[in-house]
Amino acid sequence: MMRQAENKPPRIAMNFFRWFCRPEFIEEIEGDLTERFYDYSAKYGVKKAKWIFVKEVLLLFRPSIIGNIYHLANTNSTVMKLQNKRLILILAAVPTLLLIPLIAMQFSTVVDWKIMDFIIMGVLLLGTGVLCELVLRKVKSNRGRIILCGIVLLVFLLVWAELAVGIFGYPFAGS
Amino acid sequence: MSQYHLGEFEEIVLLTVAILNGEAYGVNIIAEIEDRLNRKVSLGAMQTVLKRLEEKDLVKSEFGETTKARGGKRKRLYEITASGREIVQRTKAQRNSLWNAIPKVVFKFS
Repeated sequence: MMRQAENKPPRIAMNFFRWFCRPEFIEEIEGDLTERFYDYSAKYGVKKAKWIFVKEVLLLFRPSIIGNIYHLANTNSTVMKLQNKRLILILAAVPTLLLIPLIAMQFSTVVDWKIMDFIIMGVLLLGTGVLCELVLRKVKSNRGRIILCGIVLLVFLLVWAELAVGIFGYPFAGS
Repeated sequence: MSQYHLGEFEEIVLLTVAILNGEAYGVNIIAEIEDRLNRKVSLGAMQTVLKRLEEKDLVKSEFGETTKARGGKRKRLYEITASGREIVQRTKAQRNSLWNAIPKVVFKFS
């Protein structure tokens, strides 16, 4: 039983082939690849057949088989790209927001942030952004997303207010 | 290659499709070429040429039956078209005319 399970085309190579191949060619070429794999397997053994399979998949990676590259994006990779784009935006937003007090300090004496203030605010903003991203990735319902992101933002505002003026009187409260 | 001229490998594949007479599909075209010409052929090269020949309307294809050895996937059976037959005949005539034009003395000393 175990032996039979091993005698199968390499999964990773097969998935790679299914990803890059034009959808209308997949059935035919996958059948050819599989048939040749079993032929080679009987002729040279499973290990060598697997190597030949990988080589054949790599040799299939050519424009005529890949075709229009837009089908490559027709997978979950689009969702991944969107998620990564959003995360990059969040990461970029943190230093951008920190620039506001930095610039304000140059024109006004009312704003007077120390280096620790920038670090604490940076950690707070980053933590809030990453938590919101996590909620957006893991929670599928819009209602759940709004509630959880709302809680994260509320906690952020409360911690910020506590640090700034000390609403609750915690040891780390500002004045 | 243009619509009216075949590359060397295109010609071999087209002739092999004609030899297999309706039973031609990727794996057995390769086997036939390897068997008859003692030449290694990759599946990638074969599929590329088959698709090109189909685009040129020199072969036509349809799905055939599925077998267990193919992991339940159907074969695509290729068949030579009228244009394909015409082009291989013309190519053969061109080759023959070139062979006939070679002076006999050329091969006398080789």
